[in-house]
Amino acid sequence: MEVKISREDKVVTASLIGRLDTPASQEVAPQMNALADEAGGTIVLDCKELSYISSSGLRLFLMLRKAAAEKGGKVIVRSISGEIRSVFLMTGFLNLFEIEG
Amino acid sequence: MKKKFLTNIKALLLVIVAALTLEVTALVQYYYSQKGIREEASMRAESQLESTRNKIMDVINQAEAAVRNSVWVAQWCLDYPDSLKRVCQRMVEDNPVVAGSTVALVPGYLKDRPLFAPYVYRDATGSLQLLSLATPEYDYPAQEWFTKPVELGEGCWSEPYVDEGGGEMLMTTFSMPIRDRDGVTAAVLTADLSLDWLTELVGNVRVYPEAFSMMLSRTGRIMVCPVETLVMRKTASEVIAGMDDGEALADLTGALLSGTSGSMSMDYKGATSYVYFAPVERTGWSMSIVIPENEIYGGLKRMGTLVLLLQLIGLAMIVLMLRSFIKGQLRYRALEQRRERIEGELHIANSIQMSMVPLVFPPFPDRHDLDMAATIVPAKEVGGDLYDFFIRGEKLFFCVGDVSGKGVPASLVMAVTRTSFRNMSAHEDSPGRIVTAMNNSLSAMNESSMFVTFFCGVLDLTNGQFRYCNAGHNPPMILTDAISPLPVVPNLPLGIMQGMAYEEQQTVVRYDDALFLYTDGLTEAENAQHEQFGEARMEAALHGRKSAHDHLENIKQQVADFVGDAPQSDDLTILFIHYLPAARRLTLRNDISEIPRLSAFVEATAQAFKLDETLVPGLNLALEEAVANVMQYAYPKGTAGTVDIAAGVSGDALTFTVTDAGQPFDPTTRAEVDINAGVEERPIGGLGIHLVRQIMDSVSYERVGEKNVLTLGKRLRRDVFVKH
Repeated sequence: MEVKISREDKVVTASLIGRLDTPASQEVAPQMNALADEAGGTIVLDCKELSYISSSGLRLFLMLRKAAAEKGGKVIVRSISGEIRSVFLMTGFLNLFEIEG
Repeated sequence: MKKKFLTNIKALLLVIVAALTLEVTALVQYYYSQKGIREEASMRAESQLESTRNKIMDVINQAEAAVRNSVWVAQWCLDYPDSLKRVCQRMVEDNPVVAGSTVALVPGYLKDRPLFAPYVYRDATGSLQLLSLATPEYDYPAQEWFTKPVELGEGCWSEPYVDEGGGEMLMTTFSMPIRDRDGVTAAVLTADLSLDWLTELVGNVRVYPEAFSMMLSRTGRIMVCPVETLVMRKTASEVIAGMDDGEALADLTGALLSGTSGSMSMDYKGATSYVYFAPVERTGWSMSIVIPENEIYGGLKRMGTLVLLLQLIGLAMIVLMLRSFIKGQLRYRALEQRRERIEGELHIANSIQMSMVPLVFPPFPDRHDLDMAATIVPAKEVGGDLYDFFIRGEKLFFCVGDVSGKGVPASLVMAVTRTSFRNMSAHEDSPGRIVTAMNNSLSAMNESSMFVTFFCGVLDLTNGQFRYCNAGHNPPMILTDAISPLPVVPNLPLGIMQGMAYEEQQTVVRYDDALFLYTDGLTEAENAQHEQFGEARMEAALHGRKSAHDHLENIKQQVADFVGDAPQSDDLTILFIHYLPAARRLTLRNDISEIPRLSAFVEATAQAFKLDETLVPGLNLALEEAVANVMQYAYPKGTAGTVDIAAGVSGDALTFTVTDAGQPFDPTTRAEVDINAGVEERPIGGLGIHLVRQIMDSVSYERVGEKNVLTLGKRLRRDVFVKH
């Protein structure tokens, strides 16, 4: 699991690559949690290369979303696969996030 | 014994009732017959009396008339005494009933003839003789026939008497006083009447053979009676006086002499007689007819005896019939008891027979690679169908057979066949050799020429290698993507030809394939219209993904619906074997870093079970959530432990079991997450179990001993299986 973070015009993009299962979530949690500091702006979670997500991964997404809500920023989830979309659907995340692509 | 006793009592009562009915009927009939006969006897006696008396009166009247008609002539002749004999002569001549006649002058009426009584009579030859009664020896003026009419001044009949002079004849005399012109009684004119005819007339009155007549005179002298020696010699009272038992006769005599007519019964010397009597006017005689009771009722008594005899015969016949009826009843009961005993024994036989085949399903609860169901429905109490199966060395040995015929003989052969199967398959893995050996064993002792169609299969559960041998049995159906009969070599049934080598066949059964073995009782089940259930209906009934048990129940129900009320014609046996992938297991350390191994296990399982790959991400997620939950909550931080995961497929469901030895932890009690809540309200936790619930069809938790057991089920539709 790899998280690549890039910043451009106050937009922070985190590209999630691989499987975001429970151990992976623990692994990337510090990186993801650090993004909360920038939650006043726009955070894009690029899921183009995310093949799998479990509840621990969802939890990281939700924490970012809560921080954004607190700081008046926004979180955009981009390019989710069908699998992940169905997980989002089951958990009601489709309503919590701005989904792109 | 008690039943027999009661039956006998009932029979006895029946006989008694029959006897009483017959007896009462006979008595009533007897009573009325007796009355009728008695009346008839009275009628006959009375009419005889009447006619006899009329005949007597006829003669009496003739004699009287003869005398009265001669009175005036005699009156006229008084002046010429010598002509008086002419009067007498005319009287006898003109009246055949008159035997003699006299005109006897009152003594002293004629001075010159103090006694004068010329008497004319008919002698034995019929010629008339003249005689004078005026003899000192006879002293006619003292005789009753002379004194009585003089005294009475009118005609009268004398007491009967025996005429000693005229040949010992019984006589009676009608005498009439004759007055002269001055009205002085001058003479007595008489006519003697012989009573021989009377004796004959009265004596011949025979109402009944044993009946007899009697006649008494005014004074009770016996005029007619069966005992000749008594006639005129005795009076009735003299006879009675000489007897020991005379009161009854005395009463009778009194009645007779009273001058009335009537009847009475008389007990004399132990026998009862009926006496009918009537007086003969003017003479003072009394005539009677005595009829012994036996005589009257003799016929009736004979008839009564006959009736009694007939009744006895009838009763005897009833008794005989009852006996045979009771015997029949007892025999019937004995048969009934025998039938019940046989039924009881057949019931036991059925239990024994059923105990020979595996009846507990699922038969191998610990195995997840087999889902089996089987049934035998015998047409009679016991049947000739069999199935059997067992596992030896990871191989499933199974068979289905159908013994020719039905009932007890077939059931015995079935038992032998089943034993033979067990014996031959105990150490032999080749169904061809098993069947060949069974055939030799069965043929060797097959004296009743019964044969067995048989199918024997050996399925290697580790790799699906399936070897089988068919001995004349219906080919089993194999359920793969399609449903079709297993290709079989027919071969001969068992028990027909010893030494025959049975050909073995081989194929590979893949996971999730099923074998459906049956006997022809299924396809040949007939409804009331004699239509057969047939292979098409059977095949149709096998469609759809069901557990073995449900398949069995479904097909049994369909056959039952088809057959309706028609009686089951043949034994029906079904053996359903669903070959499933073997259960797969994984043990993880209590460490999140083990999760990728779980993911690999799920993928491998899906492949092994040939699951649709679209199912894999969901299953992966659900398992990860469940196992991660256990790792994080069941084991307190820092404690080591393991988590076991088992995966299996049953007939219609995929099951994962997650077991750990941690502290009690039941994830199913976690509250549902509100997925519609806003960002601020959304809790961070709880998503894991929520996803598990969403993905799986069933989630259940159980604390078993010191372990948490979480079972996750996913229903499988046949179309989501990846087929080969």
